[in-house]
Amino acid sequence: MDAIENTASEIEVRIAEASDASGQDALYEDAAKSYGPALERLGRAYEADPELRRDLLQEIHVALWRSLAKFDHRCSLRTWIYRVAHNVGASHIASQRRTKLQTLVDLEELENLPDTNAGSHNADRSHALDRLLNLIQRLKPLDRHVILSYLEGLDAASIAEITGLSPGNVATKIHRIKNVLARQFQQGETK
Amino acid sequence: MNQTLENPAQQIWQTQPVEGTKMSAEAIRLRAGKFERRIMRRNLRELIASVIVTIAFGYFCIAAPNALWRTTWGLFIAGTVWVMFQLRRKGTPRTMPEDIGAATSVGFFRSELERQRDLVKNVWPWYLAPLVPGYIALNLAWVLAPLRPTPWTTILALDLFFAAIFLGVWKLNQRAARCLQRSIDELARAESEQR
Repeated sequence: MDAIENTASEIEVRIAEASDASGQDALYEDAAKSYGPALERLGRAYEADPELRRDLLQEIHVALWRSLAKFDHRCSLRTWIYRVAHNVGASHIASQRRTKLQTLVDLEELENLPDTNAGSHNADRSHALDRLLNLIQRLKPLDRHVILSYLEGLDAASIAEITGLSPGNVATKIHRIKNVLARQFQQGETK
Repeated sequence: MNQTLENPAQQIWQTQPVEGTKMSAEAIRLRAGKFERRIMRRNLRELIASVIVTIAFGYFCIAAPNALWRTTWGLFIAGTVWVMFQLRRKGTPRTMPEDIGAATSVGFFRSELERQRDLVKNVWPWYLAPLVPGYIALNLAWVLAPLRPTPWTTILALDLFFAAIFLGVWKLNQRAARCLQRSIDELARAESEQR
């Protein structure tokens, strides 16, 4: 994780040097290189269909490239990149059928839902990843942002900066996330 | 700052295989251009549709037996063109704003939902109302036709049919607006909690 932060610092130095379109291109390529895998993971959390996901990922990259022309150092580059990715993802959800938005649940509801995987836990990683994705894709956009940021290893303060929620509210949500994940995974891993 | 991987789910998430999708800046430009062309094609389709409607109503307008019928078709042309214009203005898929990274998730998502809510909530003034003057003129033209006035029962049946369609469209959109408003309210609550 420190490596990512160091890379982010190096990129920020390049931002200072970038004052034209080629600088924007170079900055984008550096950002995509450092955060490409994270963007891909986020894309997977916002769209289950592989074809649509590829389109969404490209849309995230285009939005990131365009946005870097307006990057103003008021937040860290990492925050900026995650905001772009999450906002494009949220827009993608909102553009789908409106009824679908209503079928999504928040963390509190998810915490109270029965564990549908009880009795079928196994330690297979791909199965565990499928279960995790299934869980994430049931969440409303804002809670999805929080859980994804948590899974990416961001702390509460960073998540609050990305989402616009108060640190206290984020801490409550993380507590709920841990409960849900513990029920879904830790119990399963010990069986 | 990043947290240590305290949760096995974080490990599962961060170590998942990725395809390593890469886009060069050149590919990005091409993709951005493709999106712009998609919007242009959609605008062109709408323009062609409105031209076809205008030509059809224009033909009726020219062939109309009197001023009242000409006015009727003229009003339908104006109403249709207005609706098409508004559809293009409000419904165009937009490119993401350049300052998208400056907006928090809550702020950005709320503005997206508010935009959609306003579009469906105000469907009456921009989608339904522009067609009403033409329809009223059509009723008058039927009733006042000098040679063969349309029977009242036929006019009433048609009026009820179109009124039901208008009401249905309006009701569906109001329902969608309420659903969106609920989501907006939830965001507002989440934003204000524990501040």
